[in-house]
Parts: sequence; structure tokens; C-alpha cells
Amino acid sequence: MATTATLTLASSDIAGDPVSVTKTATLTKAGSLIDLDQSTGLSRVHLRSATNKVLLAANAEGNNLAAKVYIINKSTDASLYVTVTINAQTIGKLYGGDFMFIPWSQTDTAASIEVAATSWTASTGDIPVEYALFHEDTDFLTNA
Amino acid sequence: MATTIASINITSTDLLSDSLSLSAIATLTGAGSSTGLTGTEGLGRKKLASGHAQYVLFDGGNRTADKAHKIYLKNLSSTAAEYFLITVNGEDMGRLYAGDWAFFPWSAHDQDNDIKIDPSADDMTLEYMLFTDD
Repeated sequence: MATTATLTLASSDIAGDPVSVTKTATLTKAGSLIDLDQSTGLSRVHLRSATNKVLLAANAEGNNLAAKVYIINKSTDASLYVTVTINAQTIGKLYGGDFMFIPWSQTDTAASIEVAATSWTASTGDIPVEYALFHEDTDFLTNA
Repeated sequence: MATTIASINITSTDLLSDSLSLSAIATLTGAGSSTGLTGTEGLGRKKLASGHAQYVLFDGGNRTADKAHKIYLKNLSSTAAEYFLITVNGEDMGRLYAGDWAFFPWSAHDQDNDIKIDPSADDMTLEYMLFTDD
């Protein structure tokens, strides 16, 4: 059951020489070569609130197991961003079109991943966000 | 203005009952604009030898706050059990196991918003790159 994630970073002009980085990771369980075998699938939500919302709720069983999170802001407006936090600690802002792919340890049950459409107003319209979780813990539930 | 492209492909033929193929392409731009990021610290490697204590990889105080910095990390270890614990301002993000990579935005919203790495063993090497929006 191999699931692979490939990242490519490319630029011809951000530095004096071109940047070209391509890396592929096979998604495996913590500390092993056994493939991750569970996923939430690709989900989509439309955010219309500047208040933090739980996207992925941390699960005690998942503590320090392997989990990978993919999140993308599907807005086509470069000014509309989504703030991503873990346990209320801001990781960063995903502007329109930006994505992220991170490991998630679910260190404790407070380590939920939350998102807020911080730049949302009634006149901006919803901010669509897509996300997927690849994991190994068996009791994972999402309450997005 | 520079043009930097980040793309991701996540694929599996057997995780689900149907094939999985996710892909996305993003142009790395400044916060709230269509102007391409123009700064980078370049592709680097950090080997953490004995003691393997937590190490500040990127200092929040060195960057302009609330911007659209982007971070790439990869654990170059080939020993499956070896990982880097990634933290943001003291909060655990996750463990980057051997061969894993991560790519994420970094707001550097205040001086405490450091990105730190903590290897699980001696002599582990992390590859990293920071694209800056200062």
C-alpha cells in the first residue's frame, strides 16, 4: 500500500543559479517501513468565519504516531488567507492557491489543527479549503 | 520579482479502492499579493552531532512578522526509526521520519515564533530551505 508524496520547488530567478528541488517520500508508519494504510480522503470545506474552526481533531491514540496533513486554500484571490494553528499556536497563513504538507504528531488532545478564514468578511465570499489526512491510528475521527 | 513554483503530487494505487491522485501547483508570492517572493536563504543542510538537543533552525525575530515565508524540510536519514521533531514556538508540529519532507507557510508572527528541530539520534542531517517575504 504505497502512498507517495512528491514536492517540486523550482525557480530560474530567485537566486543566481536556478533552484530545482524534487523530493519524493513514501508515507510510512512511525519508525518503520510499513506503509500508512488509512486516509480521510480529500475533503472540502467553505470557511466564512474569522474564528478558529477545528479541521482535524487530535486523537490521544494518535500520539506520536505518523500522520501527514495536506491543506490547500482553493481561493483564487491572492489576498484571502487562512490561518493554520496547532493548539492555538500559529503555523502560518495559506494565501489563495497556497498549500502545505506537514507531519502531525497529535502530541496531546489539545493539538488539534484549526483553521480560520482570518481575512473573511461578508463581502469577500467563502474561502474554500481542501484537506486530506494520511494516518495510522485506528480511532481517528474528524469533526470538521 | 522572481517566479518560484511549488508543486505537490500525492498518489496511491492501493490505499483506497480507487486510485488516489492529488496535485497542486502554487506560485510563491508575498502576503496578500501576486508579487513573487524574492528572497531565499538557499538550500542548506544541518547536521546535528552529539547531544542532539533542540536547535533553532529559523529564528522568528529575524524575519518580518506576519508575512508569507515558506519552509521546506527533509530528513535525510535512511534509518526508519530516526526522526526530527519539528516545533513552532514550543508547540509540537510533528515528527519528520527518515525520508519524509514537509512544506508549510511560516508567519513568524512574533519573536517567539521560532522553528526548532530536535533529532531523535546523533549525527542526523536535515535539509532545509526558506523562502522569505521580508
